[in-house]
Parts: sequence; C-alpha cells; structure tokens
Amino acid sequence: MIRRATLAMVVVVLACLPLGVGAAQAADEVVFGGAISQTGRFAEPAGRQVNAIKLWADDVNKRGGLLGRKIKLLLLDDKSDTQTAVKLYEKLITEDKVNVLLAPYSSAITEAVANVNERYKMPFVAYGAAASPIWEKGRKYIFSMVAVAEDYQKGALQLAKKTGIKKIAIIGEDSLFPRQVGVGAKQWADKLGIQVVLQENYPQKQMDFTALLQKIKASGAEAILSDSYFADAVAQLRQLRELNLNFKMFSGTVGPGLPNFAEQLGSTAEYVLGFSQWEPLPDVLKYPGMKEFIAAYRQRFGEEPNYHAGTAYGSLQVTEAAIKNAGSFDGQKLRDALASLDMMTVFGHYKVNAAGMNQHEGLTFQILKGKRRIVWPESVAENTAELPMPEWSKR
Amino acid sequence: MAHRVEAVGGEPPGTSPAATAAAPRRLGRGGMERGEVRSLYLLAAFLVCAYALPFVIGIHYRTVRADEAWLHYLATVVLSGFLQGGVYAMFAVGLTMIFGVMRIINAAHGEMVMMGAYLTWVSFFYLGVDPLLSLLFTLPIAFLFGMALQKLLLNATVGQPELTGLLVTFGLGLVMIYVAELIFTTDFRTIPYAPRTVQLTSTIAIGQNKLVSFAMAVVISVGVWLFLKLTRLGKAIRATALNAEVAMVCGINIRRIYLITTGLAAALAVAGGALVSIQFGFNPETGAVYTLQAFAIVILGGRGHYVGALIGSFMLGILESLVSLMVPNGTAMVELAAYGLLIAVLLIRPGGLMGVKEA
Repeated sequence: MIRRATLAMVVVVLACLPLGVGAAQAADEVVFGGAISQTGRFAEPAGRQVNAIKLWADDVNKRGGLLGRKIKLLLLDDKSDTQTAVKLYEKLITEDKVNVLLAPYSSAITEAVANVNERYKMPFVAYGAAASPIWEKGRKYIFSMVAVAEDYQKGALQLAKKTGIKKIAIIGEDSLFPRQVGVGAKQWADKLGIQVVLQENYPQKQMDFTALLQKIKASGAEAILSDSYFADAVAQLRQLRELNLNFKMFSGTVGPGLPNFAEQLGSTAEYVLGFSQWEPLPDVLKYPGMKEFIAAYRQRFGEEPNYHAGTAYGSLQVTEAAIKNAGSFDGQKLRDALASLDMMTVFGHYKVNAAGMNQHEGLTFQILKGKRRIVWPESVAENTAELPMPEWSKR
Repeated sequence: MAHRVEAVGGEPPGTSPAATAAAPRRLGRGGMERGEVRSLYLLAAFLVCAYALPFVIGIHYRTVRADEAWLHYLATVVLSGFLQGGVYAMFAVGLTMIFGVMRIINAAHGEMVMMGAYLTWVSFFYLGVDPLLSLLFTLPIAFLFGMALQKLLLNATVGQPELTGLLVTFGLGLVMIYVAELIFTTDFRTIPYAPRTVQLTSTIAIGQNKLVSFAMAVVISVGVWLFLKLTRLGKAIRATALNAEVAMVCGINIRRIYLITTGLAAALAVAGGALVSIQFGFNPETGAVYTLQAFAIVILGGRGHYVGALIGSFMLGILESLVSLMVPNGTAMVELAAYGLLIAVLLIRPGGLMGVKEA
C-alpha cells in the first residue's frame, strides 16, 4: 500500500512539473519581476505594495503598454525571509531572465538583495526600504523613494517636546530598519534635549512584552517610541492596557499606518502616533494624479490606499518615466535615466542625489476616533495633536 | 528491558509524576544511586545561580531597585511569567503525551495550536461565540482531527525510526500553514476578548485575559491529569506509554489507545491555541514559535513526563520574565537565557529534570 502511495505521489509530482517551467515570454511582452513578501510578517505592508504594482501594470497596459510592449508581472513570494529573497532574485535574473526588476519589501531584505542586482547591473527603485546604510556603500543600481528611517520619529519627538515630555524610552525590533529608526530617534532626542532613559531592541517574533513594558515604567520614561512593525506594535498596546501602564505618548512607526491597526485595537489604538510616508489626502498633499490613483485603488481593492501602496505606485511611475527617457529596458540605460530623472508622482517629488537617495519629508499622524489625522508637520496638519494621552481608566 | 531502571527516582520531593508512579521502583527514595543524588544537588545549585543571575546583573547595572514601586513591578512580571507558564504547559503536555505513547516527535504541534487560535477566531467573529464557550465544540473537532490524523498518517510511522515521524509531522505542519494562509491570508489577527485590566493590589495589575487563560489552563490540565490517573482508559494510555508490547499482551487495544492519545494531544494543543489567541496576535506562521517553545519545555522537563512539562513551563516562563525585566537589553536575551538554561540542565541531567521516560 505504501508503495502504491509513493507511486501516486511521483505521478502527481511529474504532472505538476510542466506548470513550473519558466515563464514563457512572448515577443510583444516585457517581464517585470520581483520577490515581495506575500506571506510572513511583512505580508501586511508588502501586500499593499503588491496591490499597487498590479494596479500600475494594468494601468500601463490599458494605455497601450511601455515602449509598445505589454507588461507581464512575475511576482514571487520571499516569505519575509532574507535568504529566500536573495535566492529568488538570482533566479529571476538568471533563469526567468526578467527584463526589469521590482524591489522587495523591508530594509533588511532590500539590503541583501541590493548585492545581487548590483552584480547584474539591473536597477530598481526601492519602494520598500528606508534605512540609509543601504545607500552608504557606493551602490549604483538602487534608488530610494521614501523618507529615511532615521527621520521616522522626528515628528513624534517634536510633538513630545511641545507636550513637555522630558524622558523617553526607545524600543524596537532587532532588525536593520527598526534599529536605524532607533538610531535616528536618539539623535533627534539629543538635539531636542529630551533624555533617552532606556533604549532596547527585542527579537523578531517577540509576542509577550509584559516585562519590557514594566521595565520602561520602572525607568521613569514618560513616553514610548516603538520602532515596530505591525504585530509587535499591536501586542505592546494591548499589553500596556492590560497592565494598566499609562504613558503620555506612544509613537509607533509602520504599524499604526496600516488599515487593520485601528480596526483590530479599537479604542486601544486611540491617541497613538504613527509615521506615514504619504496619506491618501489629495486636498492636503496636492500631488498630481493622486485623486485618480486613490479612486482606482479603492475601486479595485475595497480600501483606501495606505502609504505603502502610494510609495510603490509612485516608484513605478518613476520607473516608467525613466524607461521612456532611456528608450530601452536595458539595465545600464535605465540606471542612468533613474539617476538624472526629476519628476512629480502621486507620492511626491523624485530627484535623487549622487548616492541615489530621494529627499522626501514624511508625515506624523495621530489616530483620533479611529482615523489617521496628520498632526505634523504643521504646514499640512489636519488636527492639533491630542497629547498627553488620557489614562486607560478614563477611556 | 534493562533501560527501565532510568525511570525511577530523581524527582524532587512533593511531586509525583503520574507516569513514573506506575514504573517499578527498584530503589526507594532513600536508596537513590549516589550519582543521581549528586546530580540533583548540582541541579539545585545551578538553578539557584541561574535565577539569581538576572538579579546580580540588574544590581550591577542599577536596574534593580529596592523601593516598593520596583518590587511591585517585579511581582507583576513574575506573576505574568507564572501565568504564561501555565498556558505553555497546555501544549507542552500534549506534545509530551504523543512522544510518551508513540515515540513520535510531533513537529506539527505548533500548527495545531495555530489551528486552535483560528477555530476560536472564526467562532468569535462569525458565530459570535465566547472564546471559552467555543471550546465546547472546538475541542471535539480537534479530537476528531487528531484521530483522523492518527488513522491516515501517524499509524504508518509508529515503530519506525523517530526521524520518520518527525518528517511526516513536519510536512503536515507545512500543509497546515499553507491551508491556513489560503483560507485566512497572512494578516495578523487578534481577538479582543477581556481586554481590561484586573487590579490585584493598588499597584499590581494583570490582564483579564491572562487570568482567564490561566484559570482555564489549570482546569484543563487538572482534568487531563485526573483522567490519566483515575480512569481505565487513562491507565491504559499510561500502560501503553510504559511498554506497548506488554500492554498489548495484557489485552489493551493499543491501536485504539494511539487514536485516543493523538486526539487528546490535538485537543490540548487546540485548547492551548484558544488560550493564547485571546492574549496575543497570531497568523498562520506563529505555530513555529509554539512548537519550539513546547520542544524546549518538554526537553527541559524530561521527554514523556507530564509533571516535568508543567515544571519546565513555569521555569521558562519565570526566567524569561526575570531576564527581560532586569538585564539591559534583556528582551533580546530571553532566548539565549531560555536555551542556555535548557543546555545546562541537560548537561547536568541528560534526561531533563525528570529523566527520560523509556518504554
């Protein structure tokens, strides 16, 4: 019986094989390929970028394609794992022979993948990476789009200063991007004369923050800057409430900007500060094409685009324009076009410096009545920040 | 069966592991071998040092203070570590049970925990059932799932080298992850059940959900223990764990025992999943964390030992909390401390706290 089962398995595997054999490429098609986290801990933000990529490809194809060729997407899943991502990019370049590369998500994965595409001289605009060390290594084939990680807590710290907060704790996940956010937060705090009484990183997948939160309270901090992703930020806030620990301010980074955040936490999410690269507010930000992009995204995916979606779409507009300028899909020509391009996108202005970094100013928002409201910088603020946060018992 | 000797002695006074109770005691408590006694003293000395170390480091870095406020923080943290340990024990006991009876290392145990979390989530959001009430029907579902698993998959691996079972369950775990991803996507889910705080004293507060989880964990664990200790079926399970061949000769239908054991273990994992789901967020991949945790606890406590698993859970829960609270950047070192403890205990007592239960 076992032998029969084995035989059946072999047959099934053989039957599946032809499906897996490389993406056949028609002459009038151009393949854009990338590995982006569709499963794992980055799936939440990266999934929004996948949405934007699909939307963009369809938009371009509706307009008749790029340089007369239809775009075909080859999106693989790196499972939020760095090693997998590196392998998949090698495969995309050497086996699948994609014409243009799409960036992965998260600073840590981008940092690793940047070595691969650099070697094959295939450029991309890194819509998923904000840690500046990636651009400090003299790489020539990677371009940034977003505000750097070091500035994620800048707005929150300005607001802390205004609220009269003197001691803060900075915590964050132990990986490239959150660590850089922490480094930047410490620098901004020093500049503003705010004392950092505790700075700690916790391992990925940490779920129980009880002891860490008690430790923060014991350190005398008045505010928590949490350089977190999604699940960890949610856990920290829930546990703060469970432990009845009150702080004047809680500022997250990526988590509060995701649509599910306020939904999952309910009233616990109120007054939390978060950082955003972009918000779907055409009347406030006034970037060209925003209204159309937001409407199309909402219609197709049933939710407002968040900043991850906006960043990806903007980066692809940049890529599209650069390809048109270069008149070719060739990596070297595309690289030169990306380096010299100066344009406006739905995400904002794109013009990189010699290191390949774009200058972009982020936004700090506060969750008020379940909605993200921009509270910093003042030039685009929708509300004034409601700080300090009320105690848990008074909610 | 010469290796049976190992199962005796070695337990701290005041505990009586359900399973060793039935093992033949060739040596009374007074007659423990000298090496055995020495390793016990060594273990006790080591544990005192291990638990004192965070305090010493804390005093050195001035994170330990003697004032009342700090002692309350300490109390809260130890308490929450203890409560956490109770919940970990639930799935560690399930894991140790399958190993004890069938010598199968169930690598899909964490995925069963994850399944429990999703079953609870579905009944909470779609059927509007209270997470504790939903145990009434999720546990029978889990029990049937476990039986089906045994019938279709695990029966073939009983008696094979331990690697076979490990590989099969590893594959099963992957299948469960991807099925869950297909149905629920990879989004993190949380169940906003009992989110409020319980003020134990004016300064010590603990989450309602933590208390509820712990209480349920105690009820279920005691129930399982009584079942194993008192009922005919429970005794048959223990007999099979001790020696399947002799149990068979005595007229126990061991195929049936295997079915029930896996069913029970799956139910325990799902119950554990329900209890963690009301405390922490989860997605289809969180199971791996729980598998590792359960493994560490089972190895620490002694493979196949129920009481060992209980003690191991509390030990890990509390040590993790102490390290995280007092050592600078301690949260990053929690795993180092946990696995360091594990390795040290194994060096002193290779069979774990309670020794390996051999069949």
